[in-house]
Amino acid sequence: MSLDRRAFLLRSAAVLGTGGVASATTLAAGAGADAAPSAGPGLATRIPFDGPHQAGILTPKPAHATFAALDAIAPDRAQLAVALQALSARARQLSQGASALPSNDVDAPPADSGTLGTAIAPDALTVTIAFGASLFDDRYGLAKRRPARLTRMEPFANDDLDPARTHGDVLLQICAGQRDTVVHTLRELMRPLRGALALRWTIDGFESAARSPDPAGSRRNLFGFRDGTANPEVADRALMDRLIWVQAGGGEPDWTGGGSYVVVRTIRMHVEFWDRVGLREQENMIGRARDTGAPLGGAGEHQDPRYDVDPKGERIPLDAHIRLANPRTPKTAGQRMLRRGYNYHRGFDAAGQLDQGLVFVAFNQDPERQFATVQRRLDAEPMVDYVTPVGGGYFFAPPGSKRAGDWVGSGLFAA
Amino acid sequence: MVSRSLPLLALAGAALAAGCGGAAHPQRTVARAPYGTAGFRSYAQARAAMAAAVRAEDGTGPELGPLPARAFARPVARYRAYAGRQADAMERDVAALGRALASGDRVGARAAWSRAYGRYLRIGAAYGALGDLDVAIDGTPGHLTRGVRDPRFSGLHRIERGLWRGATLASLAPWTARLARDVRTLRRVVRRVEIAPLDYATRAHEILEDAQRDMLSGRAAPWSGAGLQATADSLAATRAVIDTLRPLLDGRGDTLPPIDTELLLFGRALERVRRAHGGRWPALDAMTRVEHEHVDGALGALLEALAAVPGTLETRLPPKIPSIASQERRG
Repeated sequence: MSLDRRAFLLRSAAVLGTGGVASATTLAAGAGADAAPSAGPGLATRIPFDGPHQAGILTPKPAHATFAALDAIAPDRAQLAVALQALSARARQLSQGASALPSNDVDAPPADSGTLGTAIAPDALTVTIAFGASLFDDRYGLAKRRPARLTRMEPFANDDLDPARTHGDVLLQICAGQRDTVVHTLRELMRPLRGALALRWTIDGFESAARSPDPAGSRRNLFGFRDGTANPEVADRALMDRLIWVQAGGGEPDWTGGGSYVVVRTIRMHVEFWDRVGLREQENMIGRARDTGAPLGGAGEHQDPRYDVDPKGERIPLDAHIRLANPRTPKTAGQRMLRRGYNYHRGFDAAGQLDQGLVFVAFNQDPERQFATVQRRLDAEPMVDYVTPVGGGYFFAPPGSKRAGDWVGSGLFAA
Repeated sequence: MVSRSLPLLALAGAALAAGCGGAAHPQRTVARAPYGTAGFRSYAQARAAMAAAVRAEDGTGPELGPLPARAFARPVARYRAYAGRQADAMERDVAALGRALASGDRVGARAAWSRAYGRYLRIGAAYGALGDLDVAIDGTPGHLTRGVRDPRFSGLHRIERGLWRGATLASLAPWTARLARDVRTLRRVVRRVEIAPLDYATRAHEILEDAQRDMLSGRAAPWSGAGLQATADSLAATRAVIDTLRPLLDGRGDTLPPIDTELLLFGRALERVRRAHGGRWPALDAMTRVEHEHVDGALGALLEALAAVPGTLETRLPPKIPSIASQERRG
């Protein structure tokens, strides 16, 4: 083995090392060309990577995201585990902020792409890691430890799922305040994964800007409507334990406690068609006024729609989206989920029509009790003509990494 | 050559004489929305004005009173008769398909299939009017658990896949027999179908919205590549619907002239492609990029014009939305 190659392996080992251990590129002494990020609080916002739950679930949504589904190609379970360890380590490093000063060896490929300069600001970066049902097949001996409610997403009545853009062994949800942070993160995370995990599909997302005079106003989706209004309150821990977090022992394997099921649906919106529909018809399909987001007949976005005084749907039609999705009865209260989706925009189709829409993301304690039940109700809504679900999948996000040295998924691989 | 282009010229001439002022190259116009918001100082004021159907200070506002629902009786009756004739012709095409399969003629079967599919599209049936029957005849497998292998995948596209993906002709006979039974039902159902005025007016643009969304994108007929021909049949259905609505649209706002202009331009764009491919509708992937752009673009412009039809033909003023407070008081 040549000297150069040994040196490379040593450097790689250092970069892959557990978070917090100084590597060739993480020593922050002295100033590099872009040393101290001089931008405002946004770039300096740091979301802890470790904790009982993964970051990027209850965390407020930052402006940019990318979703990457990966397939495992590691030759055996041990190497898959090494890759997943490296994944968490690198994600922790990037999300906590790091220096990316070059090493002493100028002939070596730099350990970081340098696209964010020499100081990688945290920029509210979260990397949420989730596993698909296919990971629990017979390739890696994980079948007996599959989360009890993790299945392969079956098509719903109006779906047109493209197998190339659906499912996956692993899902990465990468969110940050700036787009370059997100792009940099995916690129850097793929480096320790080569040979173990291969890209299956990706999609980029963006949050609409805060344009409402009301700071609590939800952001708009690409139908022009405010989206996410009736999300359950993330500060309510008891509610989150009922709706979002898997409870250890509830028929689930031990290692899943504190995790959550992630439902991703890539929903193409036929926006040219939608833009030719009358405003009143649009509002009736959704159940809200387009400008304010108020339930029809109401004054403010967060007002209760009061279906109880509108039993015949004279105000909000019985098949309006918000009414079918959340009928607001005691019986349906347990079906609510935490939606954390993003808009997407990615070119155009073979008929010259824009390919844009929604990356729907929802966190559930039980995808059958929650998401699937709601989606089956929505199969009859009039809005189905204007949307086509084309991809996504069901995944399980393990509990958080407990500390530096731990990693997301360690419980699954523990002997 | 000459005999083929003469009828086209005659058609174009008639259309020009009818609506477009005799210009050799019809000018595109932009249909004015029935409710202008220019002049309103706020969104809330615009909405209040729409609800009250009053004129705003500067004279903008709704100009058209609602139509009585009975005004649609004759157009829908004419449409039902038209749709019944298409279904009758489709039954004959499906019978021809059956004969071609029985005699081992794949080329003939494909041609008969294309005619049967085109006939179905000429009915212009959309949006739940035919319900499960539509799925049985025209359904695609994207939503079925086992996809193309799902036993619930039936009808035109099951047969299409077999004809273009090399299934034995004998294996397609049972599916064709089932399709024939469904078309017999269709002939009855379509002559009696109930269509509300708003749904019928919406059909004016939704037939071609389907074409742009599903046919020109390749989704609707994925194996035969018949998206362009399907779009041409959808245009024929749209023309039939507009012709039944012409007495209502005439003189109501300026909705009709742009529609006629765009119908003409879109028809021409399609014809140009057909002529360039020897008088036959090419498969989607046989079209050049320029041909795609012209067809997609002309269809988009036509749809913008057609989108004004439902609003123009409204049968009621926008109903006032009751406030939550008023419902609380009542209940």
